[in-house]
Amino acid sequence: MQETVTYPQCRIVPMRLLSPDTTKRLLEKIVRVPAIRRILLNGQNIPLTVPYGPARGTENKTNLRKTIEIAGNTVDLHVLVGTITLEIEDKTVIEQIRAICDDFFVDFPCSVQEGRFMKSQPSLVDYAKYGPQADPSVIGLVDPKRKEKPSFIHPLGDRVCGGCEL
Amino acid sequence: MTARTHQYGPGTSIIAINRRKQMDPGHKLTVMRSITDEDIVLLLGHRAPGASFKTMHPPLSEQQEPDCPMRFLVKPTEGAKHGDRVRYVQFADSMFNAPCQPYQRTYAEMYRFRAIDPGTLSGRQIVECRERDLEQYCRLLIETEMFDPALVSLRGATVHGHSLRLSEDGMQFDALQRCVLGKDGMVRYVKDQIGLPLNRQVEVGKPLDQKWLREHSTIFHCLVGTALRDDAEYVEYLQRIHTLRTRYGFMPKEA
Repeated sequence: MQETVTYPQCRIVPMRLLSPDTTKRLLEKIVRVPAIRRILLNGQNIPLTVPYGPARGTENKTNLRKTIEIAGNTVDLHVLVGTITLEIEDKTVIEQIRAICDDFFVDFPCSVQEGRFMKSQPSLVDYAKYGPQADPSVIGLVDPKRKEKPSFIHPLGDRVCGGCEL
Repeated sequence: MTARTHQYGPGTSIIAINRRKQMDPGHKLTVMRSITDEDIVLLLGHRAPGASFKTMHPPLSEQQEPDCPMRFLVKPTEGAKHGDRVRYVQFADSMFNAPCQPYQRTYAEMYRFRAIDPGTLSGRQIVECRERDLEQYCRLLIETEMFDPALVSLRGATVHGHSLRLSEDGMQFDALQRCVLGKDGMVRYVKDQIGLPLNRQVEVGKPLDQKWLREHSTIFHCLVGTALRDDAEYVEYLQRIHTLRTRYGFMPKEA
C-alpha cells in the first residue's frame, strides 16, 4: 500500500458567508504565506440556472457567482464561501494565518481551527473517476462527479495556472 | 360564568410573549412598512399587475348551491365568492432572530386568516388560498412586524438558507439572490418569489436592527437571542407534552 504523508491542516471559519470580493481580498493575503500546499473553499453553491420550481432552467442572474483573480491566477468561484481549509507543510504557519485573519476580519469575528478537514484517502467515487493511480493532491479538493478541475495558484505567477489535466 | 380567556401558548420569556401576540387575532400587529398592491402582485408572480383574476369555477352567485346547512353557517371569502384560483406564498425565515418562523407562521395564520391551507416545514412555510385572499393576507405578512427585509424572504422555490450563517451584509443566504441590499440601506426585490427577474425593483424597506430583532423574535436561539432553557414554563410544557406523547401516544390521558 502506498504510504501517504500527513500534513497539518487548518480551517478559517468566519461568522458570515463571504462575498466573492471579500474572498478575493482574503485569499490575496493568504496565498502569499509560504508553505501552503492546498486550499479548499467550501460554501453554498450558487447555481447557473434556477434549479427548482416553475422558473427551472432560466438563467440565475446574480453577482454572487464570479470569476476572481488571485495573485494573477483566475479562479471560477461557484460558491458563497463559508469556510477556507488550508493544508500546510508546517504547523507554525497557522499562527501566521491567524494573524492575517485577525487583521482582516474587523466587522465580524472569525475562528481559525486546527485539525483534519480534507478527505484523507480516495473514496469509491474517486477510484471510479481517477483510477488506482490517482494524484493524492487532487483527492478531496473537488467533487469527483463535477467536471470542473481544481485551480493551480502560484503567488509568484511564473507557473501555469487555471486547472490541471486529470 | 366568566368569559373564556384564550390561551395561545405557554412561556414567560419575550419569545413566548411575541408568539402569543402574533397568534392573537385581537392584537393589532405594528405596521412597519407599506407596500402597494402592485408590488405584492409582482412579488407573488401569479398574475401580471392589472390582469384580472383567473377563475376555476363560476362565481357562487351564479351557481346553484346544494342545500347544505354548513354553507349557511360558513360565509365564503371574497376569493371563494368570485371562484378564484388557489395560489400560494412561501416564506423562509432565518434562525438568526427572524421575527417569525414556520410553525409560528402557521399558528398565527390559522388564528388570523380564513380559508387557508398552510404547509409547515423546518425552514419554510407555504400557505395556499384563493388568489384574491392571498394578496390581502400577504399585505399583513409583509407590512407588519412579522417580516424583516433581511431575515425573512419570499421564496416559492430554492428556499435553502434559513439555517445558514448570514451573508456579509446581514442578509439571509439566497442562491437566487431575489432581494439585494442597496447602498442606501434599502432591500429591494429584483426577482419574484420563484426567481424570475422583475421588470422593476420592489422596495420592502430597511432591515431592522439587532436590538429590535432580539426583542421581537419568535425563535429561541441560545447564541444570538433568548435560550429555550431560560424559559422554565416553556420547558415544563414541552416536557409534559413529550411525556404524555411517549406514554400514551395520541391519547394523552393520565392514569
